[in-house]
Amino acid sequence: MKLKLDIVKNRFIFLALSAILLTPGIIAMIYSTVTYPTHTPLKVGIDYTGGTTLQYGVKQDVTNEKLSSVRDDLQKGGIDNPYLQIININSQDTDLKSILSIRTKFIDEKSTDQEIITNIVSKDFEGASLVQVDSVGPTLGSELFKNSMIALSLALLGIVAYLTFRFQFNYALAAILGLVHDTIFVLGVFSILGLFYNVQIDALFVTAVLTVIGFSVHDTIVVFDRVRENLKYYGKKMSFGEIMNSSINQTLARSINTSVTTLITLLALYFLGGVTTRDFVLAMILGIFIGTYSSIFFCSTLIDIWEDKKNSSAPAIAG
Amino acid sequence: MKNKLIMFWAIVIIVIASIVTICVKPTKLGLDLVGGSRLVLEAQPANNAQVTPDMMSSLQFAIENRVNKLGVSETVVQRAGEKRLVVEIPDVSDLNQAKAYLGETAELDFRKPVMRNGEAEWEATGLTGKDLDRANLSSNATNGQWVVDLEFNAEGTKKFADLTKKLVGQPMAIFFNGEMQSAPVIREPITGGRAQISGGDQGFSVEEAKKMVDLLNAGALPVPAKIIEENTVGPTLGADSIAKSKVAGAIGLGFVMVFMALYYRAPGLIADVALIIYGLMLFALFKAIPVTLTLAGIAGFILSIGMAVDANILIFERTKEELRAGRTLFTAINSGFDRAFTSIFDSNMTTIITCTILYCLGTSIVKGFALTLAIGVMVSMFSAITITKNFMHLIFGTGKLKNPAIFGLRAEEINAEYQAVETKREKAKFGILD
Repeated sequence: MKLKLDIVKNRFIFLALSAILLTPGIIAMIYSTVTYPTHTPLKVGIDYTGGTTLQYGVKQDVTNEKLSSVRDDLQKGGIDNPYLQIININSQDTDLKSILSIRTKFIDEKSTDQEIITNIVSKDFEGASLVQVDSVGPTLGSELFKNSMIALSLALLGIVAYLTFRFQFNYALAAILGLVHDTIFVLGVFSILGLFYNVQIDALFVTAVLTVIGFSVHDTIVVFDRVRENLKYYGKKMSFGEIMNSSINQTLARSINTSVTTLITLLALYFLGGVTTRDFVLAMILGIFIGTYSSIFFCSTLIDIWEDKKNSSAPAIAG
Repeated sequence: MKNKLIMFWAIVIIVIASIVTICVKPTKLGLDLVGGSRLVLEAQPANNAQVTPDMMSSLQFAIENRVNKLGVSETVVQRAGEKRLVVEIPDVSDLNQAKAYLGETAELDFRKPVMRNGEAEWEATGLTGKDLDRANLSSNATNGQWVVDLEFNAEGTKKFADLTKKLVGQPMAIFFNGEMQSAPVIREPITGGRAQISGGDQGFSVEEAKKMVDLLNAGALPVPAKIIEENTVGPTLGADSIAKSKVAGAIGLGFVMVFMALYYRAPGLIADVALIIYGLMLFALFKAIPVTLTLAGIAGFILSIGMAVDANILIFERTKEELRAGRTLFTAINSGFDRAFTSIFDSNMTTIITCTILYCLGTSIVKGFALTLAIGVMVSMFSAITITKNFMHLIFGTGKLKNPAIFGLRAEEINAEYQAVETKREKAKFGILD
């Protein structure tokens, strides 16, 4: 029953594993920043770029051929670079089969683009109805982004301050690095998804990242709390590495069980829940997976390395 | 044991109160779940004057104030383009009322009579709505009509005193949005900084007076604004998706409960009951406050369920350790709770710190998330510490551990290769290091 992990002995393996997990995403983000016209590490939706999304409820199945013919018609009609997407809804309550979402540049009230698009869509799909319009002005995006960043930075500072007060600064630093580690992983995966599957991030995605951050710190603290307690009782009998190892192993069942229970709920939401929340739930699934990994293998490894540095630079104590 | 029973009945009462609240109160769902109205406002300054970013900032501020007066949470006022505001109002039963609040200016000004070319006219005095501290709704003691009481700020009080001193014996007119409301004759200088607007001969209806109060308190629009576009946003998630998410949530939660019962056995079942109570309490709280549930809010809710389960898992893992170390059931349960408390407390505190900051600074989507998560975390601490512990004590408190299997332990694990050090309750709670 006892699963014994020797984190301390294999610490550089785990750091390397972290690097392997993070690198593809970082590469994708750099590539995206260079190549996207928005110069963002992820493919951003209209929440951050501005633009208009028109969504039409469609009663027919939408094939890829049909989709590209609509796209051609739109471009002939003078709509630049429309971005089309099909969301299957298979609703039992309505006769709508799918939603055709068309994203264009921001349509202001002088423009007749909306009518043009509606005409084209109704020609190609009989009985299509405009079910939703989303318009975001171009200036808003940067503002939203800036505000989220300020809030995020202050939240991080708050966590550092609290953990420094309750633990020590290096624990706080490790927790924050773990959190950065997890965030980069999730952002990286979505950057890759953006490159290959056109997944765009919106304001909801930012919320998912915040959720991940909360979970990540939560997980890390449980391990650190055990380290703190064990240090108190065994600090004189055992080396820091041994304490770290036994703390991780003592909290291992808890770490895994908590993640499993949360993942169960999220997986159910992912496979059975609504389509529009799917990316959002995916971000949380990735985050909870990596958050558990980092609290066991990454944050503790950092602390252990720092403690070793501290001890090797201090004069050795006999006994 | 007596205290435990009192606690038990207190929990029963909380559960009943929660169920009643859930049945009685409606659930507030956000715009992204049920749809709502989306309005676009455009600044239309007189004489086609340039709309400056400053003007728009204050227009946005004023509109936000007014939207907040509607008492609907998760409202969004965003700029779109150079001179427009997008206002999203979820679940507005009377859209026309909302619209009336938004575009309407609230220009209050006091005017004095002048003779020009032999005709009596009203001339602006420079005393306006900007000089107000606040407006209140009240009724006239003598005729029972609704009136609007005005309180001036320091500067306004001085201006008003000077003005009324000059105008003794003459009428002074109060104009609201360019319409004369009343023109009382000044009998003596008014230095107290208070004035009253009555609706003239026919008086105000209560709605009229209340709207004027709200508009005055929200502040005048710095630039006239018109609603140039209005549409009702269809649900992003849709009623269909809400139904799907409910099924998914229920199935997910069901699996979690089965997992808990299988892994932790008897305590797991207790945790399942506590989890149901937790869910009921939280949902009742959301309805009672009320919190508007959005997609982001639901995410906060799910995460807090995760954290509530986590608290139980932490406690049970510790209790199992204590049992392995050969403690009696009663001591093991108590130490399990005490030792797990620091972990639960510290991890939840950081969550609450984060939520507070996000709530203060975030956009309305983030606010909804932060609020539900913070409430959820606080309720989960109560649930794990109080409800689970109470049930554990009531069921196992007096007995001996005759059958380790009910805790998911094997007999040979007890006392095997294990050492534990007594934790002092206080020290464990505050995580003090020697």
